[in-house]
This record gives sequence, structure tokens and C-alpha cells, in this order.
Amino acid sequence: MGGKLKEAFLRMKRQDATDLVEKELGSGADPLGILKQCREAMEEVGKRFEAGEFFLSELIYSAEVFKAVSAMLKPSLASNHDMQDSKVAVVFGTPRGDIHDLGKNIVITMMRAQGFTVHDLGVDVPPESFVEKLRETETRILALSALITPALVSMREAISLLVEKGFRESTFVIIGGGVTTGFASKEVGADAQTLNPVEAIRLCRQHIQDRSGP
Amino acid sequence: MIPESMSRQERFEAVVALEMPDRVPVMPLMTAFAARCQGLTQGEAWRDLDKGFKAMLDTFDDLGGFDKLYKPNLYWPMIGGRLCSAPARNLIPGRDLPEDALNQIDERELFTRDDYDKLAALGWNAFWDEHYEKMSGRSIDRLVSTQNRLLNQYVKEVEACHNQGIFPLFGAYVDSSIMAFSMCRSLTQFTLDLYEVPKKVKAAMDASCDDLIQNALDVTALTKIPLVFIVLERGSGFYYRLDIFEQFEWPYLQRYVDAFVSEGLTPWFHFDTDWGLNLPYLKQLPKGKCVCDLDGTTDMFKAKEILGGHMCISGDVPASLLTLGTAEEVRDYCQRLIDVVGKGGGFFLTTGCECPVDAKFENVKMMIEVAKTYEGKS
Repeated sequence: MGGKLKEAFLRMKRQDATDLVEKELGSGADPLGILKQCREAMEEVGKRFEAGEFFLSELIYSAEVFKAVSAMLKPSLASNHDMQDSKVAVVFGTPRGDIHDLGKNIVITMMRAQGFTVHDLGVDVPPESFVEKLRETETRILALSALITPALVSMREAISLLVEKGFRESTFVIIGGGVTTGFASKEVGADAQTLNPVEAIRLCRQHIQDRSGP
Repeated sequence: MIPESMSRQERFEAVVALEMPDRVPVMPLMTAFAARCQGLTQGEAWRDLDKGFKAMLDTFDDLGGFDKLYKPNLYWPMIGGRLCSAPARNLIPGRDLPEDALNQIDERELFTRDDYDKLAALGWNAFWDEHYEKMSGRSIDRLVSTQNRLLNQYVKEVEACHNQGIFPLFGAYVDSSIMAFSMCRSLTQFTLDLYEVPKKVKAAMDASCDDLIQNALDVTALTKIPLVFIVLERGSGFYYRLDIFEQFEWPYLQRYVDAFVSEGLTPWFHFDTDWGLNLPYLKQLPKGKCVCDLDGTTDMFKAKEILGGHMCISGDVPASLLTLGTAEEVRDYCQRLIDVVGKGGGFFLTTGCECPVDAKFENVKMMIEVAKTYEGKS
């Protein structure tokens, strides 16, 4: 089934993908194996996006296919932990003053499809909540998304609070969203900025890899 | 100061026509920023239209004046019940949001996939006549009355601006086809529709295009400002591959341009997100008739290489620079724009999308001063 399922992802055929998974589950296939195939397909989508062959719409579409398939697999998997790869965890949110979540939600779906554990705090999130969630979950990556400039100020406040609470050095802060730029990243004190969901995933993975050492 | 030999209006017309102006024209696309500058909360400016209007004019004066006033107030002009965009709910500060928050669009699904057939059969206007109350739970009579009241106010405000030698930019606005439909369905659902029911989407767009054009034309007939602000964001190469753009955006954009230019109106393309891949298409449009307005995401300098000598380019002092940068950084960026994008004319120095509410006043003032004082290397 692997080839056909991957093909359904790459050809943007949601119905084909869910039909295949339904059939496989019905015949007793290992749900973890199916999940692995879906993740491989999503990795290929990401590669094609980075190569300029796929566009954001293909990321959005394939992420929806992944969501649909995940919902089908969930009851068959032993626990929710099987859906996630706890090596990469991210606290994610739209900072205070901004209620936009379109870009954030796309990136989160992509991250989850790649096995990330994402703690989504939603929109209009005060700086204290980011720090509290990082502390509570012992997460070391903070992702902040913004479409309007008041959120840039909130980003700066959140990062200052990380410094104040002693979490800054251990936390990788990545920002994204329409209003962010390299200049804004430097000004608010983030570690990285991107408008590209696949690059965001790569940067987070890279950070974990660098931190773990050779 | 550069000696001025043109009026504000002449200067604007010159750059649209790709002629050399006496100096580069300049305009911050300001609304919320003006309210903040005058010490109003966003809620006050939305609730009290006169206060909103006064804040715009006072800020215009405080900044030393500039060549076009984006809009005279915070709201958008539309004829009652004749929608120029998706009727998404605008969350208003002090009512739906905290008193001094920015107004924000509440994007959600306004019609279902099944409604495409109805749109194809009825067209845009008749569809909303029938669907609006069901979708929103609000009376269409109330919508019509509110919109007509705002339009009357807008016409009065435009007249008052003209009496003071201030020229609002915004004659009418209209969403591009992908923008309108994406906002009606939500980005994700619309994207699924494009892949799964493309013929239905296309048929609905075919049936809606003329209504959207006519609605915008009807508004300009009343505002008497010969410019249509076309809102484009969702159709760019940032989101969609070019074959989707070619099917679902470009043909309708060409129809918009044909209709507006034949009526003597200037189509202003407000391109949010990165349109770099799509810019070459604009060379097919009539020379010296339209404006390509970029938001800081599309590379302005590449845009100049592609469109220079064919279409006026407007932009793109980034929001983050105006909010977080220094006046010197703003000056350097504006001078670079004038040197490169302004070379040979056809350039309008503006903010990249709207001037942010929390832009530093001295940064916006610097942007305007650079246009008035810096002649450029060439």
C-alpha cells in the first residue's frame, strides 16, 4: 500500500488516501506502519516544497489529508503518544494583540505530521503564558507567529521574560508570519525567522540535533 | 526641499503614467495609526466617525502633508447590500475586541461547497441577497442601511478633503476572485475545493465576476474618485502554483482591468504576500494605466526589473521597520527605494501594506521627508 498511499498524498487525492487507509485498517494492518508511511509522504511533500515544485497550497492540502488519516488511525493506536515523536516539542502561539492563526495552524499541522509534539496556546497569548508552558512541559523551542505589528512588541516582551526567568539560553525562539522579517527577528531578540513552514520544521530539527551533539 | 512644480494630483497622475514627476510622491496607507497619533483609542475612532475623520486630517497635517490620503476614515465604502468583498465579520475594537485593539477580520466559512452551484446559477449579488441572512443571522436590511449610511458619510468626507486640497486614493475597493472566494470559504477549505471541485469553483467565479466589477464601478460613480483598490493576497505564487493562478485569478483580473480602464479608472493592485512569480503576467496589461502596490514581501527591486517602464510600482516600507526601526534606518531604506525603484519615474513611495498602528511617528515622518527632500542618485 505504501506506494499508493504516498501517491495519494503527492497527487493531492484525499479520498484515495482515506479509502486506502480504511481498507488497510479493515484488513488488520499495523496502524503505526500506516502512520509511518504518511509521515514519509509528508516528508516528500516538504522536500518538493523546498525544491519549488510544490507550493503552500500543496502543504495545506497534504496536511489536511494527514489530519484525516490521523483521525482514522487514532482509535487503533495504543496511545496518543504513538502519534508523536517526543524528541521535538514546541510551544506555539500567536502573541498578545493578534488573533490571527491561519499561518500558525498550517505550520502546526505540518509539525504534527512530522511527529512533533506541539503545545498550541492559541491566539492573543500573554508573555507569561508562553513562559509558564515552557516551564511546565520542559519544552525548549518557542514558536511565535504574527500578522500585525503589536504582536512584535509582545514577542519582545515574551523573550525578555524568558531572559528574566532564566530560560532564554535553553530556549530556541523562532518567529514567523506575514509581518516578521529578518530585521524584526533581530529587533525582538529571536533566534530565527521564516515565512516557510518547511524551513521552520528544519530549523527546529536542526536546533535539537545541534543541542544533542554528535 | 525639492522645488515642487506639480500639484499633488499631477504628481500622482505622472507616476501612474510612467512620466517623471518633480519628486517622488509619498503616502503612508494610514488608518489605525492616525487614531493612535491623535490619542484616540481604536474603539473611539470606530464608534465616532467624525472623530475618526478628524484624526486622519490632523495626522495628515502633523506629518506635514503628503500626496494622497489612503482613505478619509477607518471604514470601507460599499453600496448597501452590494458586496465588493466577502462579507466576513469585521471585529470592531470596543465592541468585539478590547477598546484599543486593532480591528481584525474573523475568517470563517460563509458558504459551503454545495453553494458553488447556487452561485453559478445566481451570480454574486443575487446569491448574497438570498444567502446573507442565513449565513450571518443578521438582517440584510440592517446591512443595507449601515452600508448606505457609511457611503454617504464617505462621499461627504471626500468632498471635505478635496476642499482642503487633500486627495483620497480610494474610490472603491474590490476583492480579486481568489481573495473573495477564499475569504468566503476559508483558506483551507478553498484550497481543498480547488483540487477537488475545480469546475464548480470556476463556474461560480465566472458567474460572479461581472457583479463584483459592477459593484465597484457603482461605488466609484458616487465617490467620484477614479481609482479601484483591488485587494489581492490569496492568489499569489506564495500560495498557489501558476496554473491555478492562470485559471482562477488572472482571467478575472484581466476582466477587472479592462472594465476599469475603459471607464477611465486606475486599477490599484494591492499585492499582499510574495507575488514575485506572478509579476511577469502584469506586462500583458495596458502600459501606464495600473499601479502595482507591494507590501514588503515581494522583492521591490526585482519588481522594478520586471515592470519598470510598464507599470507604476508602489511600496514598500516594511511594517516592522516603521515599528521597530530607527528614523535613520527608515531614511536609508527610502533613499535606496528612490535610487533604484524610482529611477526613471513610475514609483510611489508608500508603506508596505497599511501603516502599522504602533509605527513610530518620527519614522513615518522621515519616510515623507525623504520623498520631499531626496532627489536620488539619478
